[in-house]
Amino acid sequence: MRASFTLILGLPLFVAALILPFVVADSYVVHSAAMVLYFAYMASSWNFVCGYVGQVSLGHAAFSGIAGYASVLLFTGLGLSPWIGMILGGLLAAAISVPVGYATFRLKGPYFTLTSIAFAEIMRIWLENTDEFLGIPLKGAQGLTVPPVGGTSFLAFQFDGKLPYYFIILAMLVGVMAATHVMERSRLGFYLKAIRGNRDGAEALGIDPTRYCLTALALSAFLTGLGGAYYAQLFRYINPERNMGIDLSIDMAVMTIVGGQGTLLGPTLGALVLHPVGEMVRAMLGGHVLGLHLIIYGVVLMLAVLYFPKGIIAPLQRWLTPAPKTPAPKAPAHMVTPKEVEGR
Amino acid sequence: MDPLTLSFAVINGLLLGGIYGGVALGLSLIFGVMRVINFAHGSFLMLAMYCSYLLWASLGVHPYVSILVTVPFLFAVGYVVQSVVISPLIRRERALVVEPTSALLLTAGVYLVVDNSVLMAFGPDVRSVTTDITYESIFVAGLPINMARLIGFAAAILVAFALSFWLKHSDMGRAIRATAQNRDAAAMSGINVPLIYNITFGLGCAVLGLFGALLVPFFSITPTIGLSFGIKSFLVVVLGGIGSIPGSILGGLLLGVFESVAAQFVTATSAAIFSFGLFIVILLMRPAGLMGRA
Repeated sequence: MRASFTLILGLPLFVAALILPFVVADSYVVHSAAMVLYFAYMASSWNFVCGYVGQVSLGHAAFSGIAGYASVLLFTGLGLSPWIGMILGGLLAAAISVPVGYATFRLKGPYFTLTSIAFAEIMRIWLENTDEFLGIPLKGAQGLTVPPVGGTSFLAFQFDGKLPYYFIILAMLVGVMAATHVMERSRLGFYLKAIRGNRDGAEALGIDPTRYCLTALALSAFLTGLGGAYYAQLFRYINPERNMGIDLSIDMAVMTIVGGQGTLLGPTLGALVLHPVGEMVRAMLGGHVLGLHLIIYGVVLMLAVLYFPKGIIAPLQRWLTPAPKTPAPKAPAHMVTPKEVEGR
Repeated sequence: MDPLTLSFAVINGLLLGGIYGGVALGLSLIFGVMRVINFAHGSFLMLAMYCSYLLWASLGVHPYVSILVTVPFLFAVGYVVQSVVISPLIRRERALVVEPTSALLLTAGVYLVVDNSVLMAFGPDVRSVTTDITYESIFVAGLPINMARLIGFAAAILVAFALSFWLKHSDMGRAIRATAQNRDAAAMSGINVPLIYNITFGLGCAVLGLFGALLVPFFSITPTIGLSFGIKSFLVVVLGGIGSIPGSILGGLLLGVFESVAAQFVTATSAAIFSFGLFIVILLMRPAGLMGRA
């Protein structure tokens, strides 16, 4: 049931994404579409742990920043190809995520969320106020630029035109979805869902919540890091605010929550709805109207929490794959809501 | 570190800390009664500061006089936000306790809307108010004490006492405490629970209206100031014990001194790292105790 729904919705989207740049060759459109895919990728990476464990992290941007900086610095300092730098940066982000996660995953709900903000803000503020660390030029709030090598160089992750960047991020998005798909069906996925449903119950059954949450977090941090390094290459520029600020964390979380947490396509759906709305608003009103797209995100987030707590993917799923008719449970509304059964 | 600088830092920290405690009162009250962590708490403070600033900039109203406007305005904002945005969630949740993450996300939405509306309306510029009181100081034992901070500190203590007294002895206060203890039992005793929630939320925000105006004479305003105040308030509440009014002031004093002493060793911007660090350490040290109440 679930798999067929993912195919019904996912396959047309994928085909559309494949042919889009050939139908519309405009470089602005391709760039905007690449940004949608980038946000879909980041939200999917966030979903990898947060959506399945049911904890809201608003500090994920830190992983993007760590890996982005690592990849740029390895390229400018040692001349290492960003492809390798990206992987190393992702590994670094994953390594940092483990002690952070070890400390924070003991906390629940809002406490976890607020602590994740605190961790990410510590890293961002430190980076913004540090020009040099152990001889590495971090350049503080000013940020780092990626020196152009001139022309297209696959090894240097630099291309003329936007098309290669578009297909790279599309491939990354398909990759993160495949990883999520595998995870969902693996022991890890079932354990995570059990932890989300009832943490104490899962622990009583012999599942070690910390261990599996940390595994998922490390993988998620790695994936988020790859996205951060990609972003640095796309813009050939990285700074603490854009690459590890709280706005990015909020984007990732809001898109996933609006789309549907703990689902394969939810984060992509969220990015597909929210990012173009933000872009259109910016295009319509010009760049001088600051923050309007975030106002819209805020309103959409509130509406989603109130009216679509499972994300907009839930009504879509009901519509696309109507469930076989079963007699509706006759439990009065005030007894046990479906939400409580799931224990979310 | 010479003792004079240090004692100056401690005094300044105590004064600012009292104000932190006052700012956190509303968060503590709202959490204590409704079990909702208001992510937009700092944003409402920022709103109050802008309100006071605007009155000063356009009409020349002294920030302390603008309290007459900011307090009712913030009460109204809180009342409306609770009754329009948050109450549908509470109505949906039939369990005794509102699901805390949903409430946090909901108020995070409010935070996004408020912060960015102000950013859109006034731009990212830093604004400040200069009044007769900004640079005025009195000297105690050779140490200068800034008047504006002292007034804020005194107000925090006063409001804390008034609020405790009111909650203990007035009918409305009793109704609020009853609702905090058990919302269903309170409803069965004839208390209008939705109204109590609206009033509690409005009250929590009205306190911000007061401190927003009191902060304005010595604190620069930017649209992004809210989040750091919100996080600090949460830290204060956690330090002092959730729902406890004297605890809120005590937690504020602790944080204020800690921050101000830390700022003697590093630059002011990096000092924020220390308050976030303290926040993490405190939460990690007593997660079970905290969750016991939530």
